[in-house]
Amino acid sequence: MRTSAHLSLLIACLVGFGSAGAGLSAPGRTPPTAAAPDFNRDIRPILTGFCFKCHGPDDAQRQAGLRLDERSAGLAVLPTGRRALIPGRAETSELVRRVFAPAGSGREMPPAHVRNPLSEAQKQLLRQWVRTGAKYDIHWAFLPPRAVVLPPVRNNSWSRNPIDRFVLSRLEREGLAPTPEADRATLARRVFLDLIGLPPTPEEAAAFVNDRTADAYEKLVDRLLSSPRYGERWARRWLDLARYADTNGYEKDRPRSVWPYRDWVIRALNRDQPFDQFTIEQLAGDMLPYPTRDQVLATGFHRNTMLNEEGGIDPLEYRFHAMTDRVSVTATTWMGVTLGCAQCHSHKYDPLSQKDYYRFFAYLNNADEPEVEVEQADPDGKRREGMQRIAALEAGLAGRFPAADGRTQAENLELRYRAWLTEQERKTVRWLPLRPTAARANLPLLTIQPDGSLLASGDQTKRDVYDLEFGPEAGAVTAVRIEAIPDERLPKRGPGRVYYEGPHGDFFLSEISLLSRGQPAAWSGASHSFAVGTGAPGAIDGNQQTGWSVNGGQGKPHQAVFTLARPLDPGSAFTLRLLFERYYAAGLGHFRVSATTDGRPVQASPLAPELEAALLLPEGGRTSAQTTALRQAFLAQAPELKTARDEIEKLRAELPQPTTALVFQERPLTNPRPTHIHRRGEFLQPTERVEPGLLASLAPPAGAAPRTRLEFARWLASPANPLIGRVTVNRQWAAFFGRGLVRTTEDFGVQGDPPSHPELLDWLATAFVSRSGANQGARSNSALQLDWSLKRLHRLIVTSAAYRQASRVTPMLAARDPQNRLLARGPRVRLEAELVRDAALQVSSLLSAKGGGPSVFPPQPAGVTAEGTFGALQWKVSEGEDRYRRGLYTFAKRTAPYAMFATFDGPSGEACVARRESSNTPLQALTLLNDAVFVEAARALGQQAAAQNGPDEERAESLFRRVLTRAPTPDERALLVRFVQAQRERLRQGTLNAGALVGAGEGDGVERAAWAAAARSLLNLDEWIVKS
Amino acid sequence: MDRTRAMEIARRHFLQECGVGLGKIALASLLTDAFTARRAAAAPMPPPADPLAEKQPHFTPKAKAVIHLFMSGAPSQLDLFDYKPKLTEYEGKSIPPEVIGGQRYAFIRSDAAALGPRFKFAKHGRSGAELAEVLPHLAKVVDDLCIIRTVRTDQFNHAPAQIFLNTGAGQPGRPSMGAWVLYGLGAVTRDLPAFVVMSTGAGISGGAANWSSGFLPTHYAGCRFRNQGDPILNVSNPTGVDSRLQRDSLDLVNALNRRRLESEGDPEIASRIASYELAHRLQTSAPELMDLTTETPETLALYGCDPKQPSFARACLLARRMVERGVRFINIYHEGWDAHSDVAGNLKRNCVTTDQASAALLRDLKQRGLLDSTLVIWGGEFGRTPMGETNSALGRSLGRDHHPQAYTMWLAGGGIRPGLTYGQTDELGFHAAENPVHVHDLQATILHCLGLQHERLTFRSSGRDFRLTDVHGKVVQNILA
Repeated sequence: MRTSAHLSLLIACLVGFGSAGAGLSAPGRTPPTAAAPDFNRDIRPILTGFCFKCHGPDDAQRQAGLRLDERSAGLAVLPTGRRALIPGRAETSELVRRVFAPAGSGREMPPAHVRNPLSEAQKQLLRQWVRTGAKYDIHWAFLPPRAVVLPPVRNNSWSRNPIDRFVLSRLEREGLAPTPEADRATLARRVFLDLIGLPPTPEEAAAFVNDRTADAYEKLVDRLLSSPRYGERWARRWLDLARYADTNGYEKDRPRSVWPYRDWVIRALNRDQPFDQFTIEQLAGDMLPYPTRDQVLATGFHRNTMLNEEGGIDPLEYRFHAMTDRVSVTATTWMGVTLGCAQCHSHKYDPLSQKDYYRFFAYLNNADEPEVEVEQADPDGKRREGMQRIAALEAGLAGRFPAADGRTQAENLELRYRAWLTEQERKTVRWLPLRPTAARANLPLLTIQPDGSLLASGDQTKRDVYDLEFGPEAGAVTAVRIEAIPDERLPKRGPGRVYYEGPHGDFFLSEISLLSRGQPAAWSGASHSFAVGTGAPGAIDGNQQTGWSVNGGQGKPHQAVFTLARPLDPGSAFTLRLLFERYYAAGLGHFRVSATTDGRPVQASPLAPELEAALLLPEGGRTSAQTTALRQAFLAQAPELKTARDEIEKLRAELPQPTTALVFQERPLTNPRPTHIHRRGEFLQPTERVEPGLLASLAPPAGAAPRTRLEFARWLASPANPLIGRVTVNRQWAAFFGRGLVRTTEDFGVQGDPPSHPELLDWLATAFVSRSGANQGARSNSALQLDWSLKRLHRLIVTSAAYRQASRVTPMLAARDPQNRLLARGPRVRLEAELVRDAALQVSSLLSAKGGGPSVFPPQPAGVTAEGTFGALQWKVSEGEDRYRRGLYTFAKRTAPYAMFATFDGPSGEACVARRESSNTPLQALTLLNDAVFVEAARALGQQAAAQNGPDEERAESLFRRVLTRAPTPDERALLVRFVQAQRERLRQGTLNAGALVGAGEGDGVERAAWAAAARSLLNLDEWIVKS
Repeated sequence: MDRTRAMEIARRHFLQECGVGLGKIALASLLTDAFTARRAAAAPMPPPADPLAEKQPHFTPKAKAVIHLFMSGAPSQLDLFDYKPKLTEYEGKSIPPEVIGGQRYAFIRSDAAALGPRFKFAKHGRSGAELAEVLPHLAKVVDDLCIIRTVRTDQFNHAPAQIFLNTGAGQPGRPSMGAWVLYGLGAVTRDLPAFVVMSTGAGISGGAANWSSGFLPTHYAGCRFRNQGDPILNVSNPTGVDSRLQRDSLDLVNALNRRRLESEGDPEIASRIASYELAHRLQTSAPELMDLTTETPETLALYGCDPKQPSFARACLLARRMVERGVRFINIYHEGWDAHSDVAGNLKRNCVTTDQASAALLRDLKQRGLLDSTLVIWGGEFGRTPMGETNSALGRSLGRDHHPQAYTMWLAGGGIRPGLTYGQTDELGFHAAENPVHVHDLQATILHCLGLQHERLTFRSSGRDFRLTDVHGKVVQNILA
């Protein structure tokens, strides 16, 4: 048995990696004898690799009418009259005949032109499979995890928890022994880096090394799991999947405010929110009953899609691209299937049809995408304080009115107010607010509000047309008025709907027309209370390039008045058509239409309609509140108070803006967004309309299928989803061991790798999704329940003997298992980009402990974001402790990512990353040697070493410990000391300039420089950036 | 092969040339020791591999290197290469709606009035290719060019179209052409990055996605050469670190890394040691590359290059020096052709900046015998509309909007037939009338010139074998030499 296992491993190595997976995962695999091959292990990879492209699930690509991914189809009679599979009769089965047809016969399969011939062994396997009945099995990952019993092992002393039983049992089958436990310093460094993403301080390491209690390690683990740094370390991995970034992407790549989502992730992980809830809130937190602000913030997960703000894009096209991203990210993250493949055509390998794809799409496709203000985002109270000052100044305006011409201040104020009031009374006309009988638009939904105003919602285009119908009750209308009304449901509180490229919250009324009895009425004039550009006259000039917009006046009411050349015939109904055309979508969000029959010339008034109504009353008939408001309105425009008002406006402009975040908001039942299949996956080719539905053949629902996004999220985050447990635990495993039990963490489909330890994967998956409730507890007997807790899963992994092994690569292991799939040693993994920097800041005591908040700008050459990027961002380096924050708080610009992170394989946030690469390049060496961050860390370390008293040997030792946690060997220490002494000598001689190296600072410059140089070398060691 | 597998094989052993330099002998013997130990265990090991090791192309190539002069922002083909006097007749009138079809536009309406060519055109060279008067230098090398007037793209916005031309997809995330080429062919030199990106003019709409390695290993990503500060980030030593300290530091790093390799046995440590040697070589070779004092005054004058000032001309000259030193793929982005207004003024300015140097690059490569093995590509991400763009509210007049249906690019050198004008547009310059060349066709052709079959150059990611040309692309046989 042992021999054959070893032999199969050797063969696997010899033939390359294509079949190595099967070889390794099938210890003691039988050579083709009488036994039936295992379909999933032996046959499916052949069918997938050689047959499915033309004989698989994709109808469009199918050749010869033959489909081999389903047994019934494979057994069916083909158009030629033959049958591909006749169970038990290999020699007459067309499949076997064709794969054994001689090369060059023109009959061989796969056909010669694809240059992908089957090996002899593969042909034999196929023949044996048909001979033994051509049995199919469902792909392993699409079946629910099996209940697994712990395997027996011979070595009864090694295992610390159930994980080890699986690992050891496998090692024993392979004839391998586990590696002894790593020394304590190494273990401390490893578990610190894994759980909180930072190396231990020498004191922390010593505390553990010297703690001789039996559960010293477990205590350390628990302490790390409860550290706030834990959430920061694990949030970064989640943010890779969420494709988090601080900019919108594409050409303009403008900043966005989505960091409250990032902080939500950190908080959720720190409080160990169960993963099912964590999932549901991110996908559908807005739909939970009475959602908390945090639950709504969580939906930022799918707002991390990019937003193209290039002038002239079609916003619906880029919303479609964002949706396809959401679909594939959801499938990758919670199902480990590459559903994105089915956007354009049915999946070539997995049983995922194009219809499945768009039904899945439909679950996620019914949300609006608002930017919301985050409550309590005034942590230092500055905003409230500023508002109070403004209110006080406004209340004091009257007191600042000047005296003039011998009149006292009060007399002068009264005189001017009276004159103004009379003028207003004279000008004010009676407006009749109109309630439309119908309101339609090309795509947005116009809803008539209880007060007769209109609210636009839903999707927008670059050319939106609103048609409003009014009855005849207004009479002989001489002018109409559009009041643009602010509303908190609109971007920047409106009144417009602009949400990209243009000024958010603005609108652009290009043309307005009035149709009565089918005829357009002529306008004679237009005016506005506020505008930029041509304003309201531009909306009646027949030129759609000019129009009324109010940038700068967001969040405030405005109005425009359009006067007819001739009054409408009394008794005629009319239609008002508003055209909003711009190179970005620019509809009006909330507005009211009024009409007047007044025959005098009418101008738009800066006064609110309520004040206009008050002005129409006799003075004695006004309430005191109305009178106060009128006085306030006078002060708000009096030329005498301009300077005083300017001060107030300046204060207002300086008010800290409320923090905003991007979230999902399910659309109202009155305005569902339909989903269609798109031919070839193209936005412009919608075809059949589809309803939401689960992936039919992959995961048929046990009961009623989910109908809404919330129900879908609940299904996804339940054991009914056969993949969530395996996919989630596998990603965690990969974080600790550098590779997953399934290497392809993003793909559990038939093209993905088979698991190295299938039983362990299923056992972990089952435990992870099990709740310790009474029912399940009874059913699963002694099995472990982790209650969807990531912290408990992490604790289980790091307390296993498998994890605690030393990581030394013996020549034997290097030969037998170079990738450490069998786990005969501990992990060796290069640190992720952010952690390399975090570690440097940590060991040099520069790291700030500040958590959360807006992203920061640590030092990097200005050119990285400014040179050659379209939306050139001036990288203004943060001051104070923000220079030294953890990497996940660094401002992430998609088109020009932080250079050091990019060099160390950090993601750009443009796509979901389920598995980061870990490369090893000369540019990384240049970064560690010469980048300002590392130079600064080296200087700080040099300063510490220089300040320490004692012989060079001691200082070298403590520097080494500080950086690398362990003590140096005598040889290593000697090398370091010799280096320091050589540099010290050069510094003293002046051939090296200490001032240039380390600048001014406390202590002896020569010492600081010599030790800084030594520290710089240590910060370049392989050991320094590798968790081992 | 997919990424991790590629990396694992790469890592197993590491670059054979790692030992070149000071540590050569020590390293070589060290590695022998490390690997002999493994051999002693009688285990079969896959052959040593390095992600950038030179690889065999699919067939014998004509071109060994590519210089892509990416005119981002999209130059107007109608005012430079594709002369349409009919547009002058149409000036002030709309183009027939049946010509326009359902095309969406970025800024203009489809009924916008036509705009005639802004410049005089003349025929040049033996090939008689037609060029506008603002390209006087290109006119003198026109017989070296293959001008394609019928390039078609799927995208009509800048960032997606640039990313599409570079990666074959309109959304970021796929590997760029340069990355695919390195993946397929490896690097000739290890003294310089094999895929270099330079930029002049304004910023690039598509950003770093344009030279991304996508799902390929990071080794294949384009390396930015910058105009300010270090040409390669961090290639200079920090303040105060002289060459001896740098060498001493590297020696200490290597010595400690070697001890670690001995105790831990992880071949990845050997790779790290090699990376440091390569980094050190880069510190020498990058300044040598950038040092233009070795160029003759004649050469500098040919390009119109002030060696001290970053410019398109200097980038072109550096590109030639890179090709001489074995750099495989070079992008020079010159952004600024987005002429929504005053297309004539825009073209004059940009041609003054780029025409002489583009032509000089061809002459210079040719006189050094490098043009036959270097493919030079010139063009933008799409073309510009036959209709004019006018918008008083935006202050625009006599401009042109984005046009994806047909536009002009030229190719020269390595594997391309010189003296050819390929493809014909309709009389209004709107559609290709004959021989359309889709961007995927162009990509297939570029790979072909390098000895790579676009359908065979695949990489497994997320369960699918991806390629530069997606599921499309045909080599344009008629333009091959």
